Amino acid sequence: MLLQCRNITYRYPHGEALVFNQLNCRLADPGFHGLFGPSGVGKSTLARIIAGEIIGFAGEITRPDNAVMLYSCNTERLPGWSSVGDHLAKVTPASQLPLLRELITAFDLNSCLDSRFSQLSLGQKNRANLTRYLLQDFDLLIMDESLANVDEATRKQIIATIKKMFPDKYFLYISHSVAEVSTFCARILVLRDVLKSPQIIEVAGRDQHGDTAMDRAVLERTMLEIVHAA
Amino acid sequence: MLPKRISQFLIIYFLGLGLLLAIKYCFSLSDYVIPGFTDIENTAADVFGRYLRAVLDTLGVAVIGHLLAIALATVVAIAGRGDNLVGAMIKTAAYNLQAYPIVAVAPIIFILLGDGLPSRLLIAAIICYFPLLLSFIGILTEPVASIEHFYVVTGRMRWQLEVKIRAFENIHKLMTVVTGSATLAMVGTIVAEFIGADSGIGYSLRIALYQSDMAKVLAALFLIGVFNSLYLVSLELLGLVIQKNMGVEPRMN
Repeated sequence: MLLQCRNITYRYPHGEALVFNQLNCRLADPGFHGLFGPSGVGKSTLARIIAGEIIGFAGEITRPDNAVMLYSCNTERLPGWSSVGDHLAKVTPASQLPLLRELITAFDLNSCLDSRFSQLSLGQKNRANLTRYLLQDFDLLIMDESLANVDEATRKQIIATIKKMFPDKYFLYISHSVAEVSTFCARILVLRDVLKSPQIIEVAGRDQHGDTAMDRAVLERTMLEIVHAA
Repeated sequence: MLPKRISQFLIIYFLGLGLLLAIKYCFSLSDYVIPGFTDIENTAADVFGRYLRAVLDTLGVAVIGHLLAIALATVVAIAGRGDNLVGAMIKTAAYNLQAYPIVAVAPIIFILLGDGLPSRLLIAAIICYFPLLLSFIGILTEPVASIEHFYVVTGRMRWQLEVKIRAFENIHKLMTVVTGSATLAMVGTIVAEFIGADSGIGYSLRIALYQSDMAKVLAALFLIGVFNSLYLVSLELLGLVIQKNMGVEPRMN
């Protein structure tokens, strides 16, 4: 087991209301997992607590020593003083350079390498940002709407590539699309309002790999399960 | 850019001159109080060479003082940007000192350093230093979370990179502050020369004041305005070049 959150209780600094109350969740196996829930319920906050970016909560998070947990989101930017290609090369450890080339091809970034970040489309920005995180040493990568502006076909291809290239890593994919998390995620943590108990319900996803056929009825059942849980 | 700055100055200058002449003729004031246009013209022609050298002397001191202030403010703001004891001390000192009219300290500087170049330079630098410092601290203290996050969580963040990110993201603001403080440097130098120096256009203004010669004052103001505009335009052009080289969309102040 990589990660277990026990009885997490948290309120924002200077905030009155609780965001989480005795929240429990876990990520037991490597793979592509989802974090789903309505807007404002605290998905990003929980992700940042898991990644160690927010402290001051009550409860306990258990993870292996030296586990690297990274949080990435779609609002991040690359510095504007150099091209995207230069930046990616600079933040890539030497041992990961072959992976960088693979990811550039898989994420269709070749045409952006000579451009500055500000010149890219929103989808290209998301892909460039995600690429640099995938090149780092990590055990868990949280992708907070990291592919929000990427078209559906490319998104599907990127997720398939990630699953194929990083089978031993943990991913926590935050999305508002119930169809997306149902299709691609192995386990889906459905985060609910703080007044509901338990605050997180775990649902099994379809965990689609590549272009494998998907039983429409089974997928719809999963989607219904998630919607009811939320 | 240059024609705009110069024309703005000329409009203000000649409006002011027109107002003075209107006052003169409305209240029938003598040429001793406000000279006529011909007197002003003749005096200006007479002192032009001397005043031009004096203004260039003043401008040289102002530019060097301005550069010193920029360098010092950069170093101190980098040291003071942190959320630690040193940062807190620097910020507190900067906020308190800037509230004091620094020009009132000028006599002490003249007593200690004499009436030569060092005093003029120091006063010019001090007068534009605090506004620069406060702006630099404000800019370098403010995190650019959307860019810095990656470097922080991957353990790559160094103070040099932090400063580079924040300066790059606020380059328009920085250039505006630097250009704005140029006038302060010029003001500081003229005030220093007016109070106690033995050269520069401020010194010439003091002599003109003692002679009650408004024509000389007006001639000096004309040259000060023209060369101050030239300095501001030079800084704006430099700012555009820097922004272009950094890949930022050039924006004029």
